[in-house]
Amino acid sequence: MGLVMKLKFTDILRDGTLRNYYVDGQKLGFQFDVRLGYYRGHFLSVIDELSVEVDGEKADADDITFCLNGKEFGIVELKHQFSEFWNIITPATIKVHKPGGLTAGEHDVRLTLMLHSPYMPLPGAKEEHSYTPIDSCDQKIMALAD
Amino acid sequence: MSKMKLGVSLFSYGTEYARHQYDFEECVKRAAQAGASGYEIVGTQMLPSYPNVSDEFLSLVEELRSKYGIGPEGYGASNDKGILHDRNLTDDELLAGAILDLKAANRLGCKVMRAQYMLTPAAFERLAPYAELFDVKVGIEIHNPDTPSTPHIQEYLDVIKKTGSKHLGFVQDFGFLAIAPNKPKWDRALELGVKEEHLQMAADMRYAGVSLEEASAKLREAGAHPAINESLQGMYGYVQFRSKEALPKLLEEMKEILPYTFEMHTKFHYLSEDCVEPSIPYKEILECLKDTDFDGYLMSEYEDEAYCGGEMFTRRHLEMERRILGL
Repeated sequence: MGLVMKLKFTDILRDGTLRNYYVDGQKLGFQFDVRLGYYRGHFLSVIDELSVEVDGEKADADDITFCLNGKEFGIVELKHQFSEFWNIITPATIKVHKPGGLTAGEHDVRLTLMLHSPYMPLPGAKEEHSYTPIDSCDQKIMALAD
Repeated sequence: MSKMKLGVSLFSYGTEYARHQYDFEECVKRAAQAGASGYEIVGTQMLPSYPNVSDEFLSLVEELRSKYGIGPEGYGASNDKGILHDRNLTDDELLAGAILDLKAANRLGCKVMRAQYMLTPAAFERLAPYAELFDVKVGIEIHNPDTPSTPHIQEYLDVIKKTGSKHLGFVQDFGFLAIAPNKPKWDRALELGVKEEHLQMAADMRYAGVSLEEASAKLREAGAHPAINESLQGMYGYVQFRSKEALPKLLEEMKEILPYTFEMHTKFHYLSEDCVEPSIPYKEILECLKDTDFDGYLMSEYEDEAYCGGEMFTRRHLEMERRILGL
């Protein structure tokens, strides 16, 4: 079993933030806020995996965007954001494109968010660029707020 | 009379800060109330405009200095060699980042900056003229499982001696002086259902120098709860401990590099009501330091393995240091 850091000081999925979003008056998808599960902030380039599953349905990576510091990024762009810093007390907003949005009521939200700790080489690793994974995943039943 | 100063790393309140129980001001206030005469700030944790210091944050720092009488003395820099997804940062890139950290430290008025061993010895060497210019002393942090005699730590000592720079040195983290298992991790394992006899068996094997793989296999054979593996990761990793017999040698190592040491991270994971840290022998360590002319900060640094927040333990920790040092 390899070492994985899991430091969950606070909820990663933020209560009361799940809602549908609208474009030109049309319900085009849903969004929710997340916090980083770690003791310090990180540059977005250390995010290795981000995926979203709601009520058992996994969203396509193309349909997910990550919003922080007044900017919005596609998932494939995150690994290039080595100067965009995510503070530990600042929530990011994850948007998922889904025409029609989510139905009213409760939803089972699963977030997979894996990062690597850029200053902690994986103990015993053979490769040069091998760092300790950080598990910032979360799962909870969230009520749609709108 | 010892010239050492007592400070608090605001890292100690990391849990309260992450939970929005304390904002930055509350962290500074609690450090002052605990008796700190200065504090350390970890840039990646509490600097809102990391890696730079904004005018807004600087005015807050100054406002809090006049309100509570303390300011930042140490800057905790991060040398994130692995931030790119496909390769490590080069020495040029590590140096560029470390110069920005020096500017941040200088702007905050910190005289000492903690650097991590991800900053290569070559980049560390090239940092010397900048450290002198900004008048910030850069200390490579020696953190458990490393000790001062670990070969890659000795490489930094070579650089310090070679450059002769008074601005290059070390920050020693007391975690490497642990001589007993980490209490919060031990208690957590018991809660998860690991039997005490199995934890004791793991600790004994650690003391005896049995390898992690062998210890893990023996415990499996003995029918230990699977959560024992998490305990083993700690015992063989960042909260590892050595035998009591190894302490005199470790204290010698600590003293040997004292002339190059700018600050101590006085690490703790727990403090009982009567102010005793169960795994790090503070009485022996501080008695040993008391007789030296070390005049830097002892920065109390609580690492929250118990997820309970650091306020109470930090107060007890400074109380303990004052008692032992007769301050």
